[in-house]
Amino acid sequence: MRLIENIKMALSSLFAHKLRSFLTMLGIVIGVGAVIIVVAIGQGGEAALKSKIVGSGNTIEVFYSPSEEELRANPNIIYQPAFTEEDIRILESIPEIKSVVASSSTYGSVSYQGRETDSTIFGINESFLEIYDMKIASGKSFSAGDFISGNRVCLISQSLKDELFENEDPIGKVVRIGTQPVQIVGVLEKPSGIFALGTKDIYVPFQTWKMITGKSDITQITLQAASPDVIQIAGEKAAYQLNAFHNTEDSYQVLNYESLAEVIGQITRIMTVTIGSIAGVSLFVGGIGVMNIMLVSVTERTREIGIRMALGATRMQILTQFLIEAVILTLIGGIVGIFFGWGVAEIFALILGWPSLISWQVILIGILFSMAIGIIFGLLPANKASKLDPIESLRYE
Amino acid sequence: MISLRGITKTYEVGKEKVEVLKNIDLSVKAGEFVAIMGPSGSGKSTLMNIIGCLDRPTKGKYFLDGVDVSGLKDVELARVRNSSIGFVFQQFHLLPRLTALKNVELPMIYSGIGKKERRERAEEALRKMGLADRMDYLPNALSGGQRQRVAIARAIVNKPKLILADEPTGALDTKTSRSIMELFARLNEEGTTIVVVTHEPEVAKYAERIIMLRDGEIVPGEDYKRGLGQ
Repeated sequence: MRLIENIKMALSSLFAHKLRSFLTMLGIVIGVGAVIIVVAIGQGGEAALKSKIVGSGNTIEVFYSPSEEELRANPNIIYQPAFTEEDIRILESIPEIKSVVASSSTYGSVSYQGRETDSTIFGINESFLEIYDMKIASGKSFSAGDFISGNRVCLISQSLKDELFENEDPIGKVVRIGTQPVQIVGVLEKPSGIFALGTKDIYVPFQTWKMITGKSDITQITLQAASPDVIQIAGEKAAYQLNAFHNTEDSYQVLNYESLAEVIGQITRIMTVTIGSIAGVSLFVGGIGVMNIMLVSVTERTREIGIRMALGATRMQILTQFLIEAVILTLIGGIVGIFFGWGVAEIFALILGWPSLISWQVILIGILFSMAIGIIFGLLPANKASKLDPIESLRYE
Repeated sequence: MISLRGITKTYEVGKEKVEVLKNIDLSVKAGEFVAIMGPSGSGKSTLMNIIGCLDRPTKGKYFLDGVDVSGLKDVELARVRNSSIGFVFQQFHLLPRLTALKNVELPMIYSGIGKKERRERAEEALRKMGLADRMDYLPNALSGGQRQRVAIARAIVNKPKLILADEPTGALDTKTSRSIMELFARLNEEGTTIVVVTHEPEVAKYAERIIMLRDGEIVPGEDYKRGLGQ
C-alpha cells in the first residue's frame, strides 16, 4: 500500500474527530511552541548581549588591581588613582592601539534653578562618545577645542534632563556641578536595549572635569584596537607596558570583550538548554496525550481494524496506518507550534529590542522532532492495533 | 477448491479445553454453492473463520485451491484473504466514514492497485449490483439491502474464487433477502464458488448442497436439500 493512501486515510480519520484531534494537537503545539520560544529568545538574547558587550567593536578594558604584596607594602594603594596621564601616553604609543578612551567619574550633586539631584559626573576624552556609541538627541556634541581648553560645557543624559528640566529646553542653560557652573550643549539619546537603565549622567571634557573636581586621576581606560585581528596582541602589549612602567608583577590587566562575550555566550547557551529542557517536558506530556488518544482511537476502531484485516490488510499495514496517523497528528501540531513559537518570539524580540533568531535549523529540528514524537508515542497504540485478533475485532460492538 | 482434512479446533477456556470442531472432513468443488447450517454453538462460525483464513485449525490440513493454507504465516493469510476470498457479513461491516465507492475500493488498496484502475473496477462492481446512482453515498444513507449489495460489490471486486457469506440476510427483511440471495445465485452461475453460513432454510435452499453441523461435527447424509421440501 502506498504512503499517499495512508496519509489520506490518516487525514480523513483525524478530520472525522475534529475537536479531539485539535485538542490532542494542542499539547504538541504548546510543547513545540514553548521550546521554539525558549531557543529563539535564548539565541536572540545571546546575540543582543554579545553585541552590547562587544559594542562598536575591538575594545579592550584595562584594569588595575594591586597584588597582595603591593597592598601589604602600601595599604592605601587602592585609594590612589588607578591611571595617570603618563599611562595614557604609554598606551597611545602602542601601534596596535588605535585610540585610548580615558574617563573618570565621580558622584555629586547637579542643580538648576533650585532643583537639585545626584548624578554621576564623567570626565571624558575625545574618543569616549564614539567608542561607546553615544549619540546626541538634541543640541550638539563637544568640539575638539572643548577637550583641549577644558571649556565649561557638558552633555547630559535623557534621565537627568527629565529630572532637572521637565519640558523646558535645556540647550544653552547653565547647570551647577556642586558650585561650578557648566553650560549644556547637548542631550544624549536614550540608550536602547537590555542595558538601558536610564541613569542620570553628566559628561564634561576631561580637562574641565579636573578643574571642577580638583582631581586628576583617571578611573577607567578603554582601548580600541586597530583591527579585530590585533585585539589579543594590543591587550597583551598594554598590560605588559603598564606593568613594566609601574614595576608591578601583574597588577595591570586587560579584559578583551570578545572573550568575555564568548563566556557570556556559553552561559546563555547553558540557560537556553536548561529552560528548553523544561519546556521539553511539556512536549513529552503532549506526546503522552497523543499516545492516550491513539489508544482510545484503536479501541474505538476495533471493528474497523477487523474489517480491514478481513479484506486483506496485513498486520504491518494496520501498524503503518496508525503510526502514520500519530505522526500526522504530531507533525501538524509541530508545524503549528513552530509558527506559534515564532510569532511569540517575534513579539518578545520587538518588545525587548533584540533580534529573534529562528533559523531554518531550528525549524527543521522542530519538524523532525515532532515527527519523532509521533513515532515514539504512536508505536504502542499502533502495535496494539496490529496485534488485534481479526475474529474478535469483527465481533466487537 | 476447498479441501478440509481432519480439521480440529480447540479453545482453552481457563484450564478446560473446549473442542469446537472435531475432525471435520469437507470438500467443496470449484463453482459449487454450499450452505453450512447448524444450531448456534455447533461450530459453524469457527468453521467459517477457518475456511476464510481468519483463523487456523489446531489440527488438520486445509487446502484452498490446492495450496496448504493451514501452515501459512499471518502475512500470507492476509494475502490469501485479499486475493482469493470475498467476505459478506450479516452486519455488512462497511466502514461508516467511507462512501460506497471507497468501501468497494478498500480491498484493492491492500492489493496495491493504482488509483485509476481501482475506481473503474469499483464502479463496475457497484453497477453490477445495481448501485450506479449510490456510489457517493455513505453507508448510513443507504437501506439495509443496498448496504449488503455494497458489501457484495466489495467482496467480488478483487475477483475472488470463493465468496464466504456469514448470515448474509440475517439483518434483512424477506423480500430484500430474496433479492440478495438471487445475486449470490447469479454470481455462482458466473463461476464463483459460494459458501453461505446460515440458519434460515429459505436461504439454504439457494445452495446446491447443505452441510449440517452439530456439536462440532458434520451430520452425515446428503438429503437435507430434499428435506427442505424442494
